[in-house]
Amino acid sequence: MASTSKDNMQNICSHDNPEKDLEPGASHDSILNPTDSFEEFATEMNSSLEGRATDVTKKSSTISEIQSEIGECSKALKETKSSENLLNKDEAISSSVSNSNLQEQNGDDTESELDDYLKSPELVNKEKHVFILSSAGKPIYTRYGNEDKLAGLCGVIQALVSVVEEQNRDILRSIITKDCKAVFLVKGPLILVGMSKSNESETQLVLQLTYAFNQIVSVLTLTQLNRIFEQRRNYDLRRLLSGAERLIDNLLIFMEKDPAFLLGAVRCLPLPEKVRENITSAIISTCHKIRDLVFAILIAGNQLITLVRMKKYTLHPSDIHLLFNLVRSSESFKTAESWTPICLPKFDATGFLHGHVSYISEDCQACLLLLTVQRDAFYPLSQAKHTIADKLRRSYCLTAINDALNRNKDLTTTNPLKHIGIPEIRHFMYKCKSTAQLFTSDPISLDRLQDYRQRHKEGGDVVKKKVEKLSDMDYVRNYREFCSKIHCARSPAKLIFRSNSEDTILAWITNGFELYVTFDPLMEKDLAIRAVDRLLRWIKNEEKRIFIMNAPTF
Amino acid sequence: MSSRKKVLLKVIILGDSGVGKTSLMNQFVNKKFSNQYKATIGADFLTKEVIVDDRIVTMQIWDTAGQERFQSLGVAFYRGADCCVLVFDVTAPNTFKSLESWRDEFLIQASPRDPDHFPFVILGNKVDLDNRAVSAKRAQQWCQSKNDIPYFETSAKEAVNVELAFQTIARNALAQETEAELYNEFPDQIKLNANDNNRNRDGDNCAC
Repeated sequence: MASTSKDNMQNICSHDNPEKDLEPGASHDSILNPTDSFEEFATEMNSSLEGRATDVTKKSSTISEIQSEIGECSKALKETKSSENLLNKDEAISSSVSNSNLQEQNGDDTESELDDYLKSPELVNKEKHVFILSSAGKPIYTRYGNEDKLAGLCGVIQALVSVVEEQNRDILRSIITKDCKAVFLVKGPLILVGMSKSNESETQLVLQLTYAFNQIVSVLTLTQLNRIFEQRRNYDLRRLLSGAERLIDNLLIFMEKDPAFLLGAVRCLPLPEKVRENITSAIISTCHKIRDLVFAILIAGNQLITLVRMKKYTLHPSDIHLLFNLVRSSESFKTAESWTPICLPKFDATGFLHGHVSYISEDCQACLLLLTVQRDAFYPLSQAKHTIADKLRRSYCLTAINDALNRNKDLTTTNPLKHIGIPEIRHFMYKCKSTAQLFTSDPISLDRLQDYRQRHKEGGDVVKKKVEKLSDMDYVRNYREFCSKIHCARSPAKLIFRSNSEDTILAWITNGFELYVTFDPLMEKDLAIRAVDRLLRWIKNEEKRIFIMNAPTF
Repeated sequence: MSSRKKVLLKVIILGDSGVGKTSLMNQFVNKKFSNQYKATIGADFLTKEVIVDDRIVTMQIWDTAGQERFQSLGVAFYRGADCCVLVFDVTAPNTFKSLESWRDEFLIQASPRDPDHFPFVILGNKVDLDNRAVSAKRAQQWCQSKNDIPYFETSAKEAVNVELAFQTIARNALAQETEAELYNEFPDQIKLNANDNNRNRDGDNCAC
């Protein structure tokens, strides 16, 4: 790191900024819940043993709240938020444990079967492993290889976790070796482990494990998950999750590639303001009389087009990410209208919403999700969908969506770097904090993401090869360490500037935004700062296209 | 309910130190025996696939340490076990006497849902040795008094009854599993409509 300056750069762009109190993309209303996921996961890492037990169980149900409101039940439900237990004093313990004496036992001449399998090409040299097991030590999911054959390893993991927990009254958080980080997360009845050789920080790994846990909750609900293991601690959860492994597989790839996860923000599909307005009002005019509808969400290519919501309720970015993942992972949505139970863990982990999911039309790859608390609303919602699709077609919104999705060259947002006209900028990503939305200069196209390690059960090896042309995904990899420095709880940096012969990276966080920019190598600081100033002005100019600036309700 | 699904059984082996727990497991998993004695530290984990009634079953075997000083690991290890194998040495009567406390200890720590019908199997090991001190009859009587626990006389050294014993262990644990499955169907979704009046919605026709 060449230099880390923490000086306040407030005056960079304030003098000639048209609306100096609002940073680009900010609006007074947000459809998304702008909780900072980083702070949240830092808390996760500092939670105490006692706090953990209450954390997953005590939350009131938003769904029953909505239901009682719709049913005009007078009983007011109180929102009891479990207070996160903030025990900062126990910092992450790092220990190195060898399981050599576990293996030595099995005779001198042979290595154990487990040991052999762990050295098989299926498992060796992978950049990141993720294992999920029950608190009894039974395997539930492995990213690579066969979880049955890893039953022994799961036993070892369970033993490590419980020895620390029960003998030392402490929490095993991570084991760090020279080239590998192993991060442990106990959530309810499950143990999740990430083992990574990449440059991701422990917090970033915990974030990914939490997402994997939430993906499971999204399929089962937390209530059901807890109840299963209360009733039968020896339960083999693979039974209930069969088919959902694919969701976790895809989510893990998705998280490595899309900065949206890193920043806890949602990408929006850039659209002319008027088009987005038309789409939103088509949805509102069609759905405003459907009483139980909680959210109507139109998405395309992992990007949000619009979100209309029931008054009072917003969605957390991580719930939207799970919806993106669900849609992206399910080919069947393309061929038929679907009716599916979906649990959104941040919204309400205790119950299912019911979703009507369908693509708008054969010639437009935008997917509409209508989420309700009503179990048998398929037909009215199906009808609503067709009405919405007709309206969008008639107002040429489908064409506009397709243009944006196909990255039509005429759109300024397709290749922003060209339009900004600062040749030294190679890449940037910008997050507006108050609305939890994200814009990057080179959005990952859906196809590229899908091609990428589609059959990753065979891929995912550590790659040493140098890539010639960097894509969004590679920049994200570079930004990771800057991101964790900026969000470091102990000594957060406001601004990081690093310049070397490969590139120059600037990371900057203010109350309103987070910005990461990659410049040409050996860029000078004041030049970079002037460029950033122009960049911010461009974003401000385009904000109505690249962000959703209002928070419509039914 | 499909019975073709993959099954994984967690099997705990308990017994005094030196009765041959690790040897039995090694004989079963690796078909090997060593006369050398090495105490197990904490626990060993081995897996083996067996076929029971056309089903492929993965046995996750937790071979625990018999020595007193490792016993504090108990709770964590016993949690969620599908079957418990209690081993004694037929040449050492005190290891037979300990069975009672091993069984009690397991039931207390693991607290299975139905302790009376939790699948145990008793193995009297080292029958290849001449200095036998616990008769088969005595062992069988004890097993009968404990809700008819299956009893096998084994020799890890000469591979006597080892395969059969573990087959029985898998079969009994599996029986428990399917039995539980019958009256334990998990509902697809939880009921959310408890306080919803289910009134007719006025938006059914989607008039705009």
